[in-house]
Amino acid sequence: MKIEKANAGNLTNFEVFDFLRSRGATSDPMGCIGSVSPSECKVFEYLSGSPAYMQTRESVNEFLRKADKFKFITSFEKLNIVNSTPTVMPALYATIKDCDKRIAKEEEQIAKENQLEEDQLQELLELVKEIFPQPAEEQEELSQ
Amino acid sequence: MFYLSQVEQNLKMPPHLLKPSLLDGELEKGIRGELEKRFLDKVITNLGLCISVYDIQSFEGGFIFPGDDGCATYKVRCRLVMFQPFVGEVIVGKIESCDEFGLQVSLGFFSDIRIPERFMVQPCHRGEDGIWVWQFKVDNEEFQYSLDIDEEIRFRVASVKYPPTPVEQSENSEPFSPMEITGYINGDGLGLVSWW
Repeated sequence: MKIEKANAGNLTNFEVFDFLRSRGATSDPMGCIGSVSPSECKVFEYLSGSPAYMQTRESVNEFLRKADKFKFITSFEKLNIVNSTPTVMPALYATIKDCDKRIAKEEEQIAKENQLEEDQLQELLELVKEIFPQPAEEQEELSQ
Repeated sequence: MFYLSQVEQNLKMPPHLLKPSLLDGELEKGIRGELEKRFLDKVITNLGLCISVYDIQSFEGGFIFPGDDGCATYKVRCRLVMFQPFVGEVIVGKIESCDEFGLQVSLGFFSDIRIPERFMVQPCHRGEDGIWVWQFKVDNEEFQYSLDIDEEIRFRVASVKYPPTPVEQSENSEPFSPMEITGYINGDGLGLVSWW
């Protein structure tokens, strides 16, 4: 076996989910037999429980386009955010590497500028909540 | 978590697999089946765990070499969907078990994820029933959060290792895991999903 290209492109969880779905995988493990193998079915089951279940190609593209203006996050972090769709600030902190260090970069910077960075994080969080809404059943459970 | 990997493989197609597919004109289906048998669910060192065959880009050949039991050899170029989280990625999994060294987390299709004690939220200790408990102190009040089995946990990948295949294994040793992921949960937003 010869490895021509070790990395021919990163895939978001949604793309793998869509690919398996188009191959014939379903949430029902018995229904999968014949079209996809059992291990592919397990991956599909895992992804069905993740935020990728609710995403569409358009929403992911829209998020990546709008997140372009946030210069402080790298493409890997954007991938992290699309895969985990954080809805609270601590979860967003987790997806961005060394978040606290990046906010207070240099001591010489004016306090106002640090405030700007935190506002940007809040804006990013609002963008995630707007483009990837939580499923309705979860919201009902929370309100009960 | 997933990415595509382009590989070239000299695939031997046994005659019994060629016959129905050549008649139907579906050689590609037969080749796909053989590729899946070869790669699916296998770990390729430094590439990761192969989840699926994404597509077949080209295949050529079909020569029958002497001494090959009549197998036709094709040179196939295809793309595989590989599972290999990058260092720093945040993943949600389920706690499968815990022991004195730490936690073991599973994703359903992959279970060799360990969170050693030194990477867990501090301070924490192991209770009498074996479950790890996080002691969280705020304003002189102490809260105990336990990391129960089957709870969903968010962790960050610290490293992905591929230990070499052991030449000899004693009967009672643990089954060999070709790919090991180590994670940590001592950070904002990490740990049980229900905590945040």
